[in-house]
Amino acid sequence: MIMQTLEIQKVHKSFGSLKVLEDVSLTIEKGKFAAIVGPSGCGKSTLLRMVAGLERPDEGTVQADGKTIDHPSPRRMMIFQEHALYPWLTVGENVEMGLELAGISKEERRNRAQKVLKTVGLEGFYHYYPSQLSGGMRQRVSIARALVMDPDVLLLDEPYGALDAMTRLTMQNELLKIWEGSGKTMLLITHDIDEALYLADRIFVMSSRPGKLVRTIDLDLPRPRSRHGQRIGELRQEIMQLLGLEE
Amino acid sequence: MQKMNSQTWKKIWPYAAAIGTLLLIWQIAAFFSPPYLLPGVPAVLERLGAGITEPEFVTSLKESLFRLVVGYPSACLLGGLLGLLAGLSRGFAVYLRSLIAILQSIPPITWIPFLIILFGFGNVPIITVIIIASFFPMALSVMNATEGINRTHLEVAKVLGATKGQLLRKVYLPETLPSFITGAQVAFGNAWRSLIASEMVGGASSGLGFSIKFAGEVAQMTDVLMYIVIIGLIAAFFDHVILEWLKRRMLKWRYIGGAK
Repeated sequence: MIMQTLEIQKVHKSFGSLKVLEDVSLTIEKGKFAAIVGPSGCGKSTLLRMVAGLERPDEGTVQADGKTIDHPSPRRMMIFQEHALYPWLTVGENVEMGLELAGISKEERRNRAQKVLKTVGLEGFYHYYPSQLSGGMRQRVSIARALVMDPDVLLLDEPYGALDAMTRLTMQNELLKIWEGSGKTMLLITHDIDEALYLADRIFVMSSRPGKLVRTIDLDLPRPRSRHGQRIGELRQEIMQLLGLEE
Repeated sequence: MQKMNSQTWKKIWPYAAAIGTLLLIWQIAAFFSPPYLLPGVPAVLERLGAGITEPEFVTSLKESLFRLVVGYPSACLLGGLLGLLAGLSRGFAVYLRSLIAILQSIPPITWIPFLIILFGFGNVPIITVIIIASFFPMALSVMNATEGINRTHLEVAKVLGATKGQLLRKVYLPETLPSFITGAQVAFGNAWRSLIASEMVGGASSGLGFSIKFAGEVAQMTDVLMYIVIIGLIAAFFDHVILEWLKRRMLKWRYIGGAK
């Protein structure tokens, strides 16, 4: 399978007179876990949507494996902030949606969905409706819906922003388990510095209005990481200073 | 079992009370009036029991239902399609809204003389009026739902690889389905009212509307009341039994318990 290297070069983007992104360049290697942190309004979601193929830059290029991204592709799955499940479909049908659109047979769809639901710990919830699940479970379903497509790239747009703190920590561990050894490229958008430090190999720190890349931090810490290790503490301080949250 | 019964009762008592109030007022008024002017509830119910087997009544009912069954679904289909189209195209939405605004300011029944001159007496003018009266609640309801569709739902489907046709079938249609049904319920009220009214003002010489008008002209108060009861019962049956059943079937996910 060909994994994708993501390359964003000299990207500018404005919505009307509002400049959202200014001269942003960054590279994410195949199979790596990258995170973008920054305050709201720094254009990080816009950047992610460009990689997903839902937006285009005004200037510059966004490429996957040397090819310009100009439309969405099932090779790059996005997990949205709001779980965005279809309330009229059951958990199983939600997970199978992408396979159904691709014309895959009912039996295979079902097998693959059951397997993925097991991975995210939702075995036995196939026939439930999203309204019957908790927030954390819904987000698990939306992760399953992306995973079932077996994408090369997973794009996560503040996936745990709406969850309570405890569920969030559990979900972070689950995400690592899903990613480790899968060879998938991960790009996580978050405003939670600790989340980025706990998960990512590489962190891009962005400032706001207009969104600019202010620092790239490489972490070569082994996993599982301690959330309170010394190196993590230093990096946290560095990022907070960069974002002007700490003197 | 006992608990089940008390729960069912909790649900139905307001309906039972509403019907009871109306019957009570009617019966009290009947006490103070001569029977030829205002017959009581038992007299009319007795007449109803006998009346529904009379061939004149059966023909009249069949004629009305035929017009309804042709006109109402056509209006729903037309309204739904126009609404969906308007939801997808801004220009068409403005056009449709203006068209509806004009049509709404003309009571549908006004078209009857015009249509009778054009097509003669019979089914065509009445069915046309039903369509004019009932397509727009459907169109407006579907148009609003389509315009207000959840952007993220569309983007999820796009990322999952949906084509334009698949977006329409897998996202637009199911997401606007609740509005289709609300639209259909409002449209039914309009269809039924305009059907009876058209028959009464002379669109045809048959049907429930014609029969009640005829009973009025010959001062048969018992028959007039019988037709009022029947017209109400049929509408209530369509609205609260058939359409409600359809709604619960098609929107199963909405009636499933759980925190929302």
